[in-house]
Amino acid sequence: MKVKGFLKDVGGASRVTKARLEAFEKASDQPVVSDSIGDVAREWHPGALDLVVTQIVPASKTAVTVRFRREDGKKLPLFYAGQFLALEFDVNGKTVSRPYSISSAPFEARGEEPFVEITVRRSKGDGFIADFVNTQLKVGDKIRGTMGCGQFYYEPLRDAKHVMALAGGTGITPFASMAKEIAHGTLDMDLTILFGSVSSDDIILKDELDKIHCDKVHIVHVLSGDEPDWTGERGFLSAELIRKYTKGDTSYFICGPQAMYTYLRTELEKLDIPKRRVRFEVFGSAKDITVFPGYPAEVRDKTFTLTVVRGIHEDEIPAKATESLVTALERAGIRIETSCRSGECGLCRTKVLSGDVFVSPEGDGRRAADKEFGYVHACSAYPVSDVKIKIPIL
Amino acid sequence: MKFYKDHYDVIVIGGALSGLSSALMLAKEGLDVLVLERHNLPGGIATSFVRGGIEIEAALHEMMSIGPEGNRLKVGKFLEDMGVNIDWLKVPEAYHASLPGLEVTLHPGLETFAREVDAEVPGTYDKVLRLLNLCHTVFDSVNELSIHPMSKVKMLLKHEAFVKTAGYSTQEVIDTFDLPKKAQDLLAPYWIYVGSGFKDLPFTIFAVLMADYIGYGSYIPHRFSHEMSLKMAERAEAMGVQIEYRQHVDKILVRDGKVYGVRTARGDEIHSDYVISAAYPNKVYTSMIEPLSEVPKAALKMVNGRRLSLTAFSVIMILDKTAEELGIKDYSIFRGDTMDTDALYNDLKGLGPYRYLTCICHNLGNPDATPEGTCSFSITTLPRVDGWKTVKAEDYDRVKHEVAEQMIDEMSKYLNVDLKAHILEIVIETPMTVARYTGMWNGCIYGYAHTMQDHIVARLQTAEAEKFIRGLEFAGAHQISGDGMGPAVTNGRKAAKNVLDDYRSKEAQAK
Repeated sequence: MKVKGFLKDVGGASRVTKARLEAFEKASDQPVVSDSIGDVAREWHPGALDLVVTQIVPASKTAVTVRFRREDGKKLPLFYAGQFLALEFDVNGKTVSRPYSISSAPFEARGEEPFVEITVRRSKGDGFIADFVNTQLKVGDKIRGTMGCGQFYYEPLRDAKHVMALAGGTGITPFASMAKEIAHGTLDMDLTILFGSVSSDDIILKDELDKIHCDKVHIVHVLSGDEPDWTGERGFLSAELIRKYTKGDTSYFICGPQAMYTYLRTELEKLDIPKRRVRFEVFGSAKDITVFPGYPAEVRDKTFTLTVVRGIHEDEIPAKATESLVTALERAGIRIETSCRSGECGLCRTKVLSGDVFVSPEGDGRRAADKEFGYVHACSAYPVSDVKIKIPIL
Repeated sequence: MKFYKDHYDVIVIGGALSGLSSALMLAKEGLDVLVLERHNLPGGIATSFVRGGIEIEAALHEMMSIGPEGNRLKVGKFLEDMGVNIDWLKVPEAYHASLPGLEVTLHPGLETFAREVDAEVPGTYDKVLRLLNLCHTVFDSVNELSIHPMSKVKMLLKHEAFVKTAGYSTQEVIDTFDLPKKAQDLLAPYWIYVGSGFKDLPFTIFAVLMADYIGYGSYIPHRFSHEMSLKMAERAEAMGVQIEYRQHVDKILVRDGKVYGVRTARGDEIHSDYVISAAYPNKVYTSMIEPLSEVPKAALKMVNGRRLSLTAFSVIMILDKTAEELGIKDYSIFRGDTMDTDALYNDLKGLGPYRYLTCICHNLGNPDATPEGTCSFSITTLPRVDGWKTVKAEDYDRVKHEVAEQMIDEMSKYLNVDLKAHILEIVIETPMTVARYTGMWNGCIYGYAHTMQDHIVARLQTAEAEKFIRGLEFAGAHQISGDGMGPAVTNGRKAAKNVLDDYRSKEAQAK
């Protein structure tokens, strides 16, 4: 065979080798360290940051807004309005993490005095971290947090230009962030917020929302309590009310308590809305795992032994049947990374080496192959026998 | 608390296809291996993720070197030999080429392909088949020579076509076949899988690409590339490999020109005489070796003398209609407004509009890819790192959306479907996404460009001289076989073989 001529053809390998070595010879011998694409990735997602509490103010008579800055004073990462902040609280020597939707706007994280805020309501007895934030957290406290988490934000390529927010209670927080960003001129969308509260004297972030004057943001308060003097909308966020405020092609974003989700699923069905126009924010771990179909009721009062493998090290800790593997680990003071705590994001992906767990069917975000090989998201997996797991060394 | 043993035979940095291939092979030979992976799952970009309850492939379009059951090619065979059994699905076609004046779906099989090209450009059957057969001959030689090195004289006698084409670019060899432009265009679409224009792409690489993909077809794992990555990781663990996730290796520890371990970001110092790094040599030689005084100038000249190849930009959509309802007929559509690969390569330097798009409708290769009534459609371009290196954090989201929208609009026009009116979920993967999850240098997924100045034949010739630190091997797209998930496995095996050879010779000396 012949390409150009015998000698040229057979000399090819030597020729290309020489060319390569010549290129190296000509090259600089100084280190070039520029990874600018990696730098942008790190600017958006730097991982856990050291934050300091700079201000705590009431957000209603039952809630507070906590403001943080970076301990090193630098700008906070860029994020999308609607995303959450995963905070790692140190309570009684144990690290417990919780996700909170960010209630401040992205532009506020990039200003002269950059900050990020969350708004937390005092619980009715079941949220010890919510109570901790409301009663014990103080200005000057240090806390680690990861920003820019979650998928609950406006995506212009997917969503309708008009978004209707259906918010209940502290579910207003992601929409407060969006509303402020729109008013600031840095988020191009139309937002109508139907905001359900119980009483007019306990509307979360009311003062902040009242300050927003922008023709692209429309806020409608809806009260479910009995208040004779109230002239606004009343009742729940019903199909009728949603229809009344819908303007043409609309995406519906829902954030609020679990009971509201159940109610809204039925109401939205009545409106015949395409699936792609409805987006629910995740709502945290199940309050009571035993109510789910398939949960083995006979184990509910039991406490099992959880063997935790990290590298070549093993620990044995107790794990209650009604608490997630993450909760058992946190109680025992063993660190595990979590973010959404709703089963979706997979940061707490964990291998079950032996034993049985019950996986919450709500928001099971596991990959098919992971299911086959016994991986669970530990925030939504509950022991139903003695269990052995492997988790990352942190 | 002690999480690691005092010493490992080998530490592998990076639990993606390459590192896991190294680990599997070393474990099979009885070595004690530790794999440290920065993410919380294996695979690097050979992975999947879940959005709105739907699992989505992150990167894989199609795997080469798998081959049909009973006649596996090297990667398919290696995985089987290692006991990694993947549920492979055969991709139905090679590609649908949508090029100026051409709308043709071509299928694998050298003769089938040549016949289909001939149907479109009559009178080209013999020439195209001859070219493909030449590719196949070179492909066979490459496979044999990578296992059995031989003298130059013997090589010329036994592997004439390989030797005689080695010094030429793809274009130089194609030119000798005197093919009409349209036939040339139909042979070119896979160029993007090797990422260089034909005037600079070694023919050797083109030959392997065509013989493998066109000769044997391509495959995808049933449960996305995560099935492949996870099964490799699970098998490695079953063979005694210790894999630790969320471990970021900061430093490779070197003393007197020889590796003795690594240090993680967590602060663990772990000892071993061998380290296989999937981190780019650029990063290793400029920031990971401790102390940096152990890095010879020649190593820096080598990384500075090479050109980083392509990164990735993908718009992945889950649509609320089936492929049939939307009129999508092919698993893969390769669409360009020219098939001048050199011009296209030049354009990839910028930030778009990108003129060459590769689209995958997963459901047409894997009916179980998405829930009933929906389909997955992704549009990908593989830009060079140059343009994206100029994007600042504050502008990133705007640029990302502009590029994505251009790509969606282009394919909407082509399919005559408003894709935006059907999006259930959308994920835009960018070079920054790659950097974020894998830490790859500048988000580069293709390693160093296959060029006439960095020819695979030259890489093989000089490999020994480029071992700058004893005990340190590299595995990843930046190694000899270059980019792609198939070559990643081959690169990983090569690194493992180098370690094994050295390990065995020391064992023999000790005796």
